[in-house]
Amino acid sequence: MHIYVCTRQVPSTETKIKLRSDASGIETAEIKWVLSPYDEFALEEAIALKEKNPGSSVSMLSVGPPRVMESLRTGLAMGADRGIFIEAPETADSHLIAQALARAIQKQPEYRFIFTGKEAIDEGSAQVGPLLATFLGIAYVTVVQSIQYEPLICKREIEAGAFELVETSSALLIACQKGLNTPRYASVPNIVKAKSKPIEMLKLADLGLSEADQKIRYRQFRLPPAKPAGKKIAGDPQTQVEQLVKLLHEEAKVI
Amino acid sequence: MTWEGFLFLILASSSLGYSGYRFQTLFHVLKNHRGKTHPLGNWAERVQTAFLDILGQRAVLRKKIPGIIHTTIFWGFLIISIGTLEQFISTLNPHWSLEFLGTFYWILMGLQDCLTYLVLLAVLAACYRRFILRPEGLGQSQDANRVLLLTGSLMLSIALMHGCELQRDPAWAKWMPLSRGLSYLLENGNPELYAFGSHFFKWIHMLLVLGFAMYIPHSKHLHIVAAGPNTFLKNLKKTKAMRTISFEDPEVSQYGASKLTDLSWKDALDYYACTECGRCQDVCPAYQTQKPLSPKKLILDLKHAMQDQKETILAKNYEALPSIIDLRVTEDVIWACTSCRACEIACPVFIEHTDKIFDIRRNLVMMESRFPPEVQTVFKNMENQGTPWAFSPETRSDWAEGLSIKTVAENPEIDVLLWVGCAGAYDERNKKVVRAFASLLKKAQVKFAILGNEERCTGDPARRMGNEYLYQTLARSNIEVLQRYQVKKIVTSCPHCLNTLKNEYPDLGGHYEVFHHAQYLAMLIAQGKIKPSKNYEESITFHDSCYLGRWNGIYQEPREILRSVGANPVEMKSHHQESLCCGAGGGRMWMEEHLGKRINLARTEQALETGASTIATSCPFCLTMLSDGVQSKMATQTKVLDIAELLNEKS
Amino acid sequence: MILVIAETKSHQVKKSTWELIHQARTSGHETHALLMGPSVKLAEELASGGAQKVHCVEHPLLEHYTNEAYAQVTTTLIQLLKPEIVLATHSACAREFMPQVAARLDVGLASDCTQLQWSDQKVIAHRPMYAGKAIVEVEFLGKGPQLITVRANALGLQPIPKTQATIVKHTLSLGPFKTKMAPLESAQARPDVTEANIIISGGRSLKSAKNFQLLEALADVLGAAVGASRAAVDAGFRPHRDQVGQTGKVVAPSLYIACGISGAIQHLAGMRTSKVIVAINTDAEAPIFQLADYGIVGDLFTIVPLLTEAFKKLKT
Repeated sequence: MHIYVCTRQVPSTETKIKLRSDASGIETAEIKWVLSPYDEFALEEAIALKEKNPGSSVSMLSVGPPRVMESLRTGLAMGADRGIFIEAPETADSHLIAQALARAIQKQPEYRFIFTGKEAIDEGSAQVGPLLATFLGIAYVTVVQSIQYEPLICKREIEAGAFELVETSSALLIACQKGLNTPRYASVPNIVKAKSKPIEMLKLADLGLSEADQKIRYRQFRLPPAKPAGKKIAGDPQTQVEQLVKLLHEEAKVI
Repeated sequence: MTWEGFLFLILASSSLGYSGYRFQTLFHVLKNHRGKTHPLGNWAERVQTAFLDILGQRAVLRKKIPGIIHTTIFWGFLIISIGTLEQFISTLNPHWSLEFLGTFYWILMGLQDCLTYLVLLAVLAACYRRFILRPEGLGQSQDANRVLLLTGSLMLSIALMHGCELQRDPAWAKWMPLSRGLSYLLENGNPELYAFGSHFFKWIHMLLVLGFAMYIPHSKHLHIVAAGPNTFLKNLKKTKAMRTISFEDPEVSQYGASKLTDLSWKDALDYYACTECGRCQDVCPAYQTQKPLSPKKLILDLKHAMQDQKETILAKNYEALPSIIDLRVTEDVIWACTSCRACEIACPVFIEHTDKIFDIRRNLVMMESRFPPEVQTVFKNMENQGTPWAFSPETRSDWAEGLSIKTVAENPEIDVLLWVGCAGAYDERNKKVVRAFASLLKKAQVKFAILGNEERCTGDPARRMGNEYLYQTLARSNIEVLQRYQVKKIVTSCPHCLNTLKNEYPDLGGHYEVFHHAQYLAMLIAQGKIKPSKNYEESITFHDSCYLGRWNGIYQEPREILRSVGANPVEMKSHHQESLCCGAGGGRMWMEEHLGKRINLARTEQALETGASTIATSCPFCLTMLSDGVQSKMATQTKVLDIAELLNEKS
Repeated sequence: MILVIAETKSHQVKKSTWELIHQARTSGHETHALLMGPSVKLAEELASGGAQKVHCVEHPLLEHYTNEAYAQVTTTLIQLLKPEIVLATHSACAREFMPQVAARLDVGLASDCTQLQWSDQKVIAHRPMYAGKAIVEVEFLGKGPQLITVRANALGLQPIPKTQATIVKHTLSLGPFKTKMAPLESAQARPDVTEANIIISGGRSLKSAKNFQLLEALADVLGAAVGASRAAVDAGFRPHRDQVGQTGKVVAPSLYIACGISGAIQHLAGMRTSKVIVAINTDAEAPIFQLADYGIVGDLFTIVPLLTEAFKKLKT
């Protein structure tokens, strides 16, 4: 069984974001790059599935600048068998990324499952999975929290209640949610082995694509308004409560 | 040779031959261990240790009564062995004896006689302790019972032999007052009987000795052969670093101990040296709080496992060996250790329990990725952020806001670098401690700076939890930064940082003079640079941190600091070398405590028992653990403070 | 023309849909709404509440949400009606099926936007990135409708004149689809701590498992999850799966209300990155106040019930 995992390399959650002076993006020099956390659930699921089906293999794909290869090595250390790196500019949008992934996958052997994270923690659009599946003409299901394979049942919990996908006649792309599994910690021998696993290198041009195929572009990067210092609300309990509710509704806008 | 001599020759050769064969097997099993141990060398110091600890029984005597019992038996055995040797040789060659030594011979005989009775008394005392008092650490042991029986019988046979001998040849009586007493009981008249008796009991004695020789390799009494060498070859360093693994070495692909033979020959020697005395178990914080870990049981389980796997080990059939983790040595046992080293300090034969646990952890973590799930977050945080807590390195100097403290990049001309540590940088409570310490440094006009946002975790949590790979990544990066700024002297308020920077970084090329803030402040007070007002009026007790006390031998300085503000600290039930761990060491700060009672509660109880209104600490983990303990116990009147905070208030 | 993909819940048009309708009307553009499946029952409400035309599509395959069905309907209607701009809420469903629409139409999609800036025919959408640490403008390249999903609560409601719109019923043939969905019976009453949008958390000061009912009452009003500090879990007040902290769950909800939690570092490590943090504690020096956006120094046993009442009032 061939299993594919599509991942993204992102700035680590704790990294401070500094903007370029021309507002065209962020300063990347001092960023600590990591594998997007939701993608780890995808990798773990793929590797666990491989282990249950001897003879299977996991291929890991990622799109972006050359630094992305380090995140491929992380996935290989976890247990993926090979990596496919598609070089693209930092500013590639979801549409271009999904197109590149789709064309790269179409060149590959047949598959039943493609795993992705439910969203990338930097971009946060949650588009690439659904776009990719549509380009490939296959079904997809997102925010999946539990998977049973025989018969195939995917459970997802969304606001309106929980739903499960019960039947599919096609290959399936699954966008993974936290709680699906516990991503394994790479052992030192596996880290060493990963250094010699193969990574296929592709350029956009090899796939018949270019920057011109982007549909949106981000510009005018700015910092959000500074968080005001915490305020302690004074008064008697009733006043405090009323004031808090007002602030949460009108100022913080979280209720 | 007489027929007796001939018979004895056969018996002795067989039994000593058998015994020798068994010892050889034990030796080969030991030798077939493939792990590495600490470097030897320093022979002069080792000889000195041999005198004090082996002959002088220094470590054994740490517990007075059992110590005296054992020393009596030990020295009795040594002296009486001379007589035994004489017996053997004289049986083979009846014309030979040690009488040529003259007066010295009679003194020796008299000494042996006294010792016989003293040893007998000691054996009775030991039996009283074992069967009547029944201290928990001893447990029940058929083996021990047999040994006591054998030893007692040996002594009885000598006593009876002397008694008979005195009747036969009164020349002996002058030198053996005790046996004279016995001999009165034997007064019967028939000289033939005495001659026979003397001879008979001599043979009983010799046969018992030969029997004992055959029994020893199978018993914990093996310690009489192993303990000496184990003491002689022990790790001499008072401060302790974990062994550094080389990941560059292509020969090594097994990191840590998966099978018994992944441990070292020294570990095997430790098992042989164990007398099952239980002192380690008595002081273990995990054992005291109902965790499955008992240091004594661990050593014995490893020993029994080694015995079970003896044939496979002798055949060097390493592939066929099972994993160390089994029904007896479970993962819970391995993770329960707080690395406080109370067991090692208590052990009279210098067994190193923690090194084995660390090696087993290394395999679990680095080779099998098997560890408590909550630890994965800690590893990931250290990998990505350089700190076990999920905070950004960019906020490391936030604690210093408004204090105009420069980084070493801004101000390289310093007396000492203040190493803040992760707790001081991120934990609100511990930030206060670092601020107090910085304030003291300023008052003393010490030129200091910090690394600021370039500081990363020293790697201590990773190393203690077995993730040597992660530890080395962090350590090398820190060493590079320290090198860039040519840092020579470091002071820190965290004993874990102290231990790692001082004792473990040298292996990776980082050599610095490192002080704990207790040492540094004590020095500043002695130099008159800090002048505290001596008006502390409350009652106070000091908690000795494991990594400050047992790991690094610093006990005096914190108490000096307390006395310098006029305090008169009372000691808790367990203090100094016997201090009870707060429960956070060995990476346990980062793990959930599911089993048994909370260790920090046990220590808090000891602290509250002193009646002191303040508990003084000198470690951020101890501070956290004891503060939590005090809150859990609802002891709202009790304060928990770092010594730096106390000193700063009074300066 | 702006086409708003309308959503409903419990027989009401969602507030987030009204936000989009109001925003569209205020921009001055013609505003249509699209209702699919069982939502068509609320066509009247939309027709009189501000939409200028309401399109309804009913079909057995729309009974339960599937991304294929909803995407196909939306795509077809867009191709039919040719709006310049399409707005949807960044809800669990729309965020999943709108990219499919974008792929089928070969246009771009701006997701999870928090501000819409109108200029001529185009709209400039603004969205957060890097978990809210930066805000960017989205520029659409090429031709075709601008597809935008908007974060709920971001735009707010605005006063607009009422309407009397026409309701158009469309009949489409749908399918066959590759997947079949079914609703799960065991949907939990209260969301799990892990990905909840709002979390009410309690500490040792709750004093008993029973007292957590106070927090549960508040959580029910807000549709929130209930979390606990390690001390509360150790004391047996709550199960381990509710534990928030370094060794429990690390969460990042929009709102975290910490009741009787002092804020030791192990707990902070688990909830620090929450968007808005409220602390209620009797100890004014508790470390949690350093982190909280809003703090009440007071007794949670007094404050929490008052809070529950106040939110109940707000919701009605």
